[in-house]
Amino acid sequence: MTNELQLINAAKAGSADAFADLVKHYRTRLLRFLLTRCASYADAEDALQDTMIAAYRYLHSYDPRWRFSTWLYRIAIRNAQKHRSENVVELGDLSDEESDPLLHCIAASETENLWVSARRVLNDDVFAATWLRYAEDMSIKDISKALDRSDSWTKVNLLRARKTLDTEMNRRNNGSEAYG
Amino acid sequence: MDKLAKQLKTDAALIDVQVSDELDRRISASLQGVTPEKTEAPVVRQRPAAFWWASSLTGIAAALAVIVLINSDRQPAEIAVVHVADTSPVPEIKTPTINWRTESAMLTQPLQRELEDLQSDLKKAEEKVKRDIGL
Repeated sequence: MTNELQLINAAKAGSADAFADLVKHYRTRLLRFLLTRCASYADAEDALQDTMIAAYRYLHSYDPRWRFSTWLYRIAIRNAQKHRSENVVELGDLSDEESDPLLHCIAASETENLWVSARRVLNDDVFAATWLRYAEDMSIKDISKALDRSDSWTKVNLLRARKTLDTEMNRRNNGSEAYG
Repeated sequence: MDKLAKQLKTDAALIDVQVSDELDRRISASLQGVTPEKTEAPVVRQRPAAFWWASSLTGIAAALAVIVLINSDRQPAEIAVVHVADTSPVPEIKTPTINWRTESAMLTQPLQRELEDLQSDLKKAEEKVKRDIGL
């Protein structure tokens, strides 16, 4: 973590290389997340690039009291929203594997990936909260900060998402058993 | 970790993405062209020593002025000196003399005895008046 702080300070001083090292570990994770929120793989890549540029440019506004990943995800969520509003695509309608970048990146399986189900049954912010919680192991406070929501909103919606996804998981498992 | 959390973690890992070399180059090139914004540190201007002397002296002068003003308000108002010689003489009050036409009682006995005699005289005079008017 000290190393991360050193890299942040070097990047703040204007070192692009230090920043590249800093975000190296986050790029793949961010791209995976952005893929669930963008209409195409190219959009996800563009959103990632914009996120990196914005993070580097506004690094002075980063508050070290928060995790660096929380701050990065906050920027990424905004960029994903910006790309989506430009293209105006409803992600819930992307059921075609050819056009859905998420389905394109998931290996063929007998059962539906739970995140595909989550994207279908949860709204954008609740999906993002669920992703940050279960895929990124973020705390409630960090999720609230990243989504610019209250802690209580995050807790309540994560609970609802859990119930919904639990039902989806059981339905999926029952379906696979019936077919098996 | 419960079953759902475990499944979500596993399924997230199944999303296979790679940052391509081309994207890596694009990002690096973009970053080279960006200058991070810097927050301007608040400028602390050093004031000259004369400023502190001047402000101290002004403060002291103001305090003195306030003290003088308060004390000048507390001085008693001047009492007008009145010369006795200038005043008009008070006119002499003349009380009217009343002729009471009184007779001094001649006390020949002790007071109790005198009282009894007077009461007796009064009673006799009363009976005399009643007889005269025919009661």
